[in-house]
Amino acid sequence: MTTVDDAPAAGGATVLQIEDVAVYFGGVRAVDGVSLTLTAGKIFGILGPNGSGKSTLLAAVTRLVPLTRGRLRCDGRFYDRLPPHAVAGLGIARTFQTVRLLEGRTVRENVLLGADVAAGGRAGRRAAAQRADEAIELTGLQSVQRLRPDELSYGYQRRVEIARAIAMCPRLLLLDEPTAGMNRQEREEISALMHRLQQERGLTQLLIEHDVQMMTDTCDYLFAMNFGRLIAEGAPQDVVRDPAVQEAYVGKRRSRHA
Amino acid sequence: MTTWYYTNIVLIQSTFTTLLLALSLQVPMRVGVFSFAGVGCFGLGGYAAAIAMTRFDMSTAESVAVGTALAGVAALLLGLLVQRLTGLYLAMATVAFTLIVSVVAVNGGDLTGGAGGIFGALGDLQTWHLLVAAVVVVALLAMTERGAIGRRVEAVRENPELAASFGINVTRYRVTAFTVSGVLGGLSGAFTILLRSTVTPDAISFHLIVLALTVIIVGGWTSWLGALVGSVIFVWLPSMLDFVGDWEAVVYGAIVALAAVFLPEGVVGLIGATVRRLRRVRRRAGGAGAVPAAAPDADLPDADAASPAVVPPATRGVTQ
Repeated sequence: MTTVDDAPAAGGATVLQIEDVAVYFGGVRAVDGVSLTLTAGKIFGILGPNGSGKSTLLAAVTRLVPLTRGRLRCDGRFYDRLPPHAVAGLGIARTFQTVRLLEGRTVRENVLLGADVAAGGRAGRRAAAQRADEAIELTGLQSVQRLRPDELSYGYQRRVEIARAIAMCPRLLLLDEPTAGMNRQEREEISALMHRLQQERGLTQLLIEHDVQMMTDTCDYLFAMNFGRLIAEGAPQDVVRDPAVQEAYVGKRRSRHA
Repeated sequence: MTTWYYTNIVLIQSTFTTLLLALSLQVPMRVGVFSFAGVGCFGLGGYAAAIAMTRFDMSTAESVAVGTALAGVAALLLGLLVQRLTGLYLAMATVAFTLIVSVVAVNGGDLTGGAGGIFGALGDLQTWHLLVAAVVVVALLAMTERGAIGRRVEAVRENPELAASFGINVTRYRVTAFTVSGVLGGLSGAFTILLRSTVTPDAISFHLIVLALTVIIVGGWTSWLGALVGSVIFVWLPSMLDFVGDWEAVVYGAIVALAAVFLPEGVVGLIGATVRRLRRVRRRAGGAGAVPAAAPDADLPDADAASPAVVPPATRGVTQ
């Protein structure tokens, strides 16, 4: 595993740059001036209580909500004018907070949906099938790949979501609360999977969670959000000890980390 | 066989035209758009074909082409116009479009023949013409249900945001579905009118929307096969229900209500689910060696039959 650095830029090339991004819904400032930089090969996390603007920030980064202000850059190239369906072409894949699988399709077909991106012609189809197989193997879904999502446990459904995103062979993977509703053991398995993706593929990942322990266990670098703004960033252990972060989680987490 | 064919030729032909009409509602439904514009395009295509034939002396083929093309263009424009609408509002807008077509037909003066409609638009259509058209349409649609396109169509339907995350241009899929819907509706309308030789504004009624929708609901809305099964049922059912006499409407209504409640994916969906269930049972009976069964499933009565050895480890303690 890569060592924990204090500065995100110390790792490698910049993959994603968010510059002063704000998203207002009427009078609600869901995201209010967030700037952050993601460098290649690291696992980043955005920590924050419910309603702190994490998911909206992710929606902004994937162009699903319009920006009130600010700019987005992927590999140095501005993409904040592109439509949402062009984001996949930049090599950005994501999973959603809620499980969104095609119920009438098998696990493998669901994963193929991700692998299909940029697949054309017979060679493309074969390559897509191979990408799907790799993603299925990486996430440990071989034994269930011919089943349908409704035959799987919730934890496995979430794995299918991750496999589908990986099958796109992204440069950046955004995970919106991938372990919501999971027990401790399942969380650890997802965490292990993320580390495996980092080691085997050098995949840059951005994890959104409100579970502090999951975040400190998994991430190399942490951002903390509250009320639509970044309130702290740095090495996970430092961020969770930050007074502002403690206050955002007041009563819930203080005893554990104080 | 030939006697049967000639006695039932009207029913056979209207099975094909009903299939095309039903497909014109099913295509947008498959990308998650509730649009009844196909019925309006049925009227548009029918009127355009009748006008082309009676007023401009066009041949049958030309008239059908004119009706179909016009309906396709109208649907494309409508699709672009209502692109920002979703759900119930979109459905309402497309119902309005259909009713507008019939209002225009009533008030179209000499061109549409007003409330009396147009007479004498009898084309020389043979049953095999309809068959060929239906086969071509079905073959093309069947391709959109398979492979990568099929998965993408389903993603657009189930979740537009999800589809976009795979680089799918949701708007383009929807507008395309609208256009295809118009073409199919127009084709069905042109065929129907040139077979009947008459078109009146009554032909484009709310009743036709209900019929087309019923065909898909009972047959199955996810696949062309459902539209075919539904068309066969609802074209032939009235003639089979002769013996119940005055009760026909009641029996008909009961079938629709029961199908809506008990067959959420229609007859075809029921068959598919049964096949899957049988396979699952066989898989378990035949030993879990090849394809292991998965996690216990709440809605399966035989879930307990799953061998604990093949339940994925992560399923422990799952809250369903």
